[in-house]
Amino acid sequence: MTKVLLRYTNLVLATLFVLSLLSFILAYLFPGQAIENLTGLRLLELTERQNSELKYAVDANILVQYWHYMGELFAGNWGVSFSSGLPLIEDVSHYLPASIELSAYALFLSFFIGLPLGFLAALRHHKFTDYSLLSVSLLGYSIPVFWLALILILFFSLQLGWFPLSGRISLLFEIPRATGFILIDILLSDSIDKSAALTSALRHLILPTLSIAVVTTTLIIRITRRSVIKTLNSEFILAAYARGLTPRQVLMRHGVRNALIPILPLLAMQFPTLLTNAMIVESIFSWPGIGNWLIQAIYQQDYPAIRAGMLAVSVLVVIFTMSIDLTIRLTDPRRRRAERATI
Amino acid sequence: MPQSSLYQEEHYPSPLQYTWMEFKKNHIAVAGLFCFAFFLIITIFCPLLAPFDPNMQQIGDLLIPPSWYPNGGISHLFGTDALGRDLLSRIIYGCRTTFGISLLLVVVAMFLGVGLGALAGMSKGFRSSFINHTLDSIQAIPTLLIAIIIIAILGTGLVNSMWAIALALIPQFVHQTRDFIRHELSKEYIMAAKLDGASKTHIFMHSILPNMGEMLVVQGTLALSVSILDISALGFLKLGAQAPSSELGAMLLEGIEVAYIAPWTIAVPGGALFIMIISINLVGDGLRSALRNRLLH
Repeated sequence: MTKVLLRYTNLVLATLFVLSLLSFILAYLFPGQAIENLTGLRLLELTERQNSELKYAVDANILVQYWHYMGELFAGNWGVSFSSGLPLIEDVSHYLPASIELSAYALFLSFFIGLPLGFLAALRHHKFTDYSLLSVSLLGYSIPVFWLALILILFFSLQLGWFPLSGRISLLFEIPRATGFILIDILLSDSIDKSAALTSALRHLILPTLSIAVVTTTLIIRITRRSVIKTLNSEFILAAYARGLTPRQVLMRHGVRNALIPILPLLAMQFPTLLTNAMIVESIFSWPGIGNWLIQAIYQQDYPAIRAGMLAVSVLVVIFTMSIDLTIRLTDPRRRRAERATI
Repeated sequence: MPQSSLYQEEHYPSPLQYTWMEFKKNHIAVAGLFCFAFFLIITIFCPLLAPFDPNMQQIGDLLIPPSWYPNGGISHLFGTDALGRDLLSRIIYGCRTTFGISLLLVVVAMFLGVGLGALAGMSKGFRSSFINHTLDSIQAIPTLLIAIIIIAILGTGLVNSMWAIALALIPQFVHQTRDFIRHELSKEYIMAAKLDGASKTHIFMHSILPNMGEMLVVQGTLALSVSILDISALGFLKLGAQAPSSELGAMLLEGIEVAYIAPWTIAVPGGALFIMIISINLVGDGLRSALRNRLLH
């Protein structure tokens, strides 16, 4: 137990070190001067004195530079954005929750739909239900997410006018920021008409969530189906039948739990895909999330923003996947190492 | 197997024939295979098939609807876009760009991935674990983020986005190769080869590699659909192929501006992309279940 914990801490620290090193090196790889890319300050706009101080720091050994960089990172001083001039840490902490919110709802929705359907398909293995679910899921994960989003917009927003085109909430509402998650913020605030604000926020949420959830749901259906089929073919299920349990009892007592264990880590592997889709969908729906922000940063050649955003997102992903891996490892002693997903 | 055998001897199909027999049973997958072949033909022969030059602008023919609309014409089968370019020709050339480049990327990624995977699988200790952990961290980063970083360094463009996608595709191949090699190394025919005095490279080249083909094809179809999705997504986000190019994602982006009055400008390129990916996934799925069923016999 302690050994596993130590090993994972070690791994996380090593990966985070590599990521921080990478973000430092990126400042040198991006066009322009490294010091500008690291701080976001334009050398021409600074005073003589600040300039010479910066020069002094840059002329130092590269290891010393990295040491300073890390010091500034931990002090919360990530530099400022080229385009907006705001401190990057504020920008990131403003946009990241919006992305997490969107992906989390999409993930919950897909779990909610995908898991039962996956079980259904597996229990009706090689029957009509199974085949139709499989073909629907094939359609689902073949559809390009940006095309799906466009069709949804064309149909539901422009044709029918049911849902708004873009943004997070109607501009009429001004929600005080507390957590950055819009639904929680609405519930926390007390100055506005809560139900109207909630309705507006939900209406804005539906289309982007749906477009992300379609792909994720189909992945969950397929992974669940495979895992349940594999479990139901194993020998302890046969033994349970031999003891005279009804199919229902076998499924509930032995099938479900054993089938669910391998699903979680396989899903954790799909997390980067989910994030990529979320970033694309954000930019289509003008959702004020980190993906949209990063893509705008590319258009505006805002290198400090790209560096900071890359660091924030990859650290988030690494910590998320590693903690899921660790949980699985600690709860399921059979697992020696991570398996790869087959969908 | 022939229906009535004239001779006494029995005919045993080879593993490849078995796979094909299993594959043929799944009619939808065969349809997918035909579709795949269709796109391959388009990719190779597109200058012969396209009725117009994809970038030729006909000023008199702006936004002509496709032929199935009441006021559409037969000279432009899929209609024209806002600049009067023939959509059918653009789609045909777009298939070449999107499909052909994805195919190329998958082959490159496969070579590199199998090489690295062999290195990781055949070696033990530090070298193997170093490769593993590096790749795990690459795999944890979303493809779009890798692409954004590479494009920020090199600038936007189709070639630069290709680097990003190749980099994102490699880890899958490495993992599969390594797991496969680990699995095979414990089998007896490898032991026999070892007892014959075969070196590590010899074992890999002559014993393991011939058995890896099927796994690689299946993995390749998966990678192909991922790479098509990525390349068109980057084109759509203005990070990959740029505007006048007839890459399908970039075409979708151009279509958005007139989407409300001319929905076919986004329906047709998106549909082509969709069918392309479906056919690849059908073939991959069919192949995988064929291989799985073959082992059951």
